[in-house]
Amino acid sequence: MTDPGPDARVPGSEDRLPPSAYVRMSLVLRVGLLLSLAVFLGALATYLALHPGAVWISSAPDTWLPYLNARGFFAGLAAGSPEAFLTLGIFLLVATPIARVVSGLYYFERGGERAIAAIALTVLTLLLFGLFVLGPLIR
Amino acid sequence: MELLFVVLLLVLAGVTAGLVGSLTGLGGAVVMIPVLLIGFGTPFPVAAGAGLITVLATSTTTGAAYLRDRLSDLRIGMFLEIATVPGALIGATLTVFLTHADLNSVLLVALGAVLLATIPGALRRGRRDPNAPAHPDARSRRFGLYGSYRNEDGTTVPYRAERTTPALGVAFGAGVASGMFGLGGGVFKVLSMEHYLRLPMKVATATSNFMIGVTAAAGAGVLLAAGYVDPLIAAPAALGTTAGAWLGSRILPGLRNQTVRYLFLPVIALLAIETILRGVGLP
Repeated sequence: MTDPGPDARVPGSEDRLPPSAYVRMSLVLRVGLLLSLAVFLGALATYLALHPGAVWISSAPDTWLPYLNARGFFAGLAAGSPEAFLTLGIFLLVATPIARVVSGLYYFERGGERAIAAIALTVLTLLLFGLFVLGPLIR
Repeated sequence: MELLFVVLLLVLAGVTAGLVGSLTGLGGAVVMIPVLLIGFGTPFPVAAGAGLITVLATSTTTGAAYLRDRLSDLRIGMFLEIATVPGALIGATLTVFLTHADLNSVLLVALGAVLLATIPGALRRGRRDPNAPAHPDARSRRFGLYGSYRNEDGTTVPYRAERTTPALGVAFGAGVASGMFGLGGGVFKVLSMEHYLRLPMKVATATSNFMIGVTAAAGAGVLLAAGYVDPLIAAPAALGTTAGAWLGSRILPGLRNQTVRYLFLPVIALLAIETILRGVGLP
């Protein structure tokens, strides 16, 4: 990238990325959020309907461990388990900013901005490392 | 207590947290985390996990609007995430280890201190001279950390990032705080971007919002995979805070911003003090 010099009136950042990049990334966020909230609402209502009179426990995260591996998660979804769908809502919400990093990586790479694309790739790798390596390791 | 009743309480707490967080500019998690810890007796990592899920929901709501208006600087955001994301991974891991080591009191005192530290940041307003000459450092030039945005009056305001080293340091600290306590940490990021990078307030706020989601995803990813995100707490809290933040964004234009902050900041200060008192074992 050519540096415009210290005193130059620099072009807008929007000039370096196509306007569609901003529109698409904004769309990714909206769709991700709406999907996860819709899943939360439906799954929460179903869970409460299936467990009438259930008693509150301050936290029982162990209940959700079976849905944190691929087999249990997809089996739960196939069986229509509200626990699996609640986990899906959480996954969707966590995946939304990750999808935004992937979009950024794509647009920076396509625009020939190799240095910032390398940063985006590193950020993406760290995010996936946390989710698939570090988290299960400290469970 | 019956689960349905608690879920409704969590939604209501979320609405209040989202509203107060939106009106003060500090984010809903600042209220939601102490409420979960003190009011609901939630274990620390589970409260942090739920806090990060609410941060994800609210930052996504506003982040989409900032992106559409092209106020977020994607390059600067991505550049700082190289520090916030490892910070969040370390912070979330620390929370789990400190809980396993039965050091909840340390976490509570540290959380209270961080909450108190956010309050002055909420009162500060940016005073950047747009005509002052920029002095970008080598890293800023290498990564092309410059841009401009269009003001309401149609004028274009250019900016160039300056002292990137201290900004990266603060970003790392904000990441640790986010992963450890389940907060967004936006106040620290905005202050750092204004003070060190010398970005205009609007760009700093929008870019911080862009980063908050990714930082929260890093911490939430670790806590989720480690089994500390309880969807029965996180889902109603996220639904509530999103509704509260939306409500706040509707109410805010009709209110005097600073008055609202003065009104709600003592509430956050009280929650912070209560958290510290719990940490040191006082009722």
